Amino acid sequence: MDLVALAAALRRVTVELTDTERAFGSGVVWDPDRVVTNAHVAAARPHVRVRRADGTSLDGSVLARDREADLALLHVPGLGLPAAAVGPADELRVGSLLVAVGHPFGVRGALTAGIVHAVGKIGRSERSWIIGDLRLGPGNSGGPLADALGRVVGINAMIVGGLALAIPASEVTRFVRAAG
Amino acid sequence: MDRLLALSNDLAFAVQQAGRAVFAVHARPRLPSTGVHWRPGLVVTANHTVRTDEGLTLIRPDGQSVAGALVGRDPARDLAVLRVEATDVPVAELGDSAAIHVGHMVLALGAGPRASWGVVSAIGAARARHEDGDLFSLDLTLYAGFSGGPLVDAQGRVVGINTSGISRQMQLAIPASVVSRTVDELVRHGRIAHGYLGVGTQPVRVPEAMRQQLGLAQELALIVVDVQAGSPAAEGLLIGDLVLSLDGEAITDPVELRRLLRAERIGRRITARVVRGGQAREVELTVGERPARSR
Repeated sequence: MDLVALAAALRRVTVELTDTERAFGSGVVWDPDRVVTNAHVAAARPHVRVRRADGTSLDGSVLARDREADLALLHVPGLGLPAAAVGPADELRVGSLLVAVGHPFGVRGALTAGIVHAVGKIGRSERSWIIGDLRLGPGNSGGPLADALGRVVGINAMIVGGLALAIPASEVTRFVRAAG
Repeated sequence: MDRLLALSNDLAFAVQQAGRAVFAVHARPRLPSTGVHWRPGLVVTANHTVRTDEGLTLIRPDGQSVAGALVGRDPARDLAVLRVEATDVPVAELGDSAAIHVGHMVLALGAGPRASWGVVSAIGAARARHEDGDLFSLDLTLYAGFSGGPLVDAQGRVVGINTSGISRQMQLAIPASVVSRTVDELVRHGRIAHGYLGVGTQPVRVPEAMRQQLGLAQELALIVVDVQAGSPAAEGLLIGDLVLSLDGEAITDPVELRRLLRAERIGRRITARVVRGGQAREVELTVGERPARSR
């Protein structure tokens, strides 16, 4: 796969989350009618609008939200999109290629590329993150971080000191399973 | 094999390969910097990150602590060399820094290892000109603590030392060939000697009439604006002299002048071709060693 094909595939499984006024983040199609995003993106809203890559929008409701894990699961009836291919974050090594898609600063479907900056814990936090040397902006939150094969290995959650922090896919899988 | 996957694996391999010779350097408060095991028992880092001459601690790639001793510093190139006992830590595999061109994909490493990815964006850019080799300007992020770490090519070979201490605006790397020369000189003498004339100059355009009259090809020369008392320049140069060449090499820029005053010329007689009062003449000078204060 080249980067162009990878970008196209990743864009198809990336949605934009909006309310009646504005866009506030990204989401990943996890299974055919459910979308994963960050808890801080879903915030306290019970409902969101979900905009697909083809420009059409649907209503979604928040099924589960875990502020600690910063993950939320949305139910979007009739979404009709293929689920993202998910890959293991533990195969990543420092230097491995990473690709993100999201809507930073309102730029829809923006692609950024970089590498794994470091693996393991960061600072005093007990959590493990995928730490990327990769440019993200506000609006990337909740969107996919993928490996060189286009498999989603994480959900972009934060920018710290210019570095991209993403929640590993294994954690997302656990969260989705627990949410039922 | 899939091209992107192959690139991804190559980059990860390069980090692993180069990372085997990367140390963390604790030589300033709070933020450790990075160092590279350059020759057996010698670690190179960025001079601006070595705030103290004693009590230096380094962390080996395997996480063990080891004491370091300062061998010497080269503030002009922002390099410092430390001696460590680490015979079982591999030395960096050096690449040919002369083979690096604008557009080459490179990695910058910090201790850990941590990594940053980008390209060489310019070589010898205006502010990054250096008297003994052009510096690499990098389009990548040198994260906190990355100064002193290796610039690594796609094969995992070290082609330079990164520093954010030379320029505020640019992320720079000192080419491996310059680093090797500096290490050799610091090990031999404990310091870097610089040739010195004691002259202040500015580049000027040689007037067309003067060029025709004297049959000069070069359009630029250096005008002498300052001569330090008692300096080698005071032997033969005057304020207002137009310096055209030194030992037959045309000089059009103060950086070229410094480049010609390399350490090996110290103590040697050189011939300056100058224009004084409209007349070309030759002046004999003896290159001195730059006093420590003015380095």
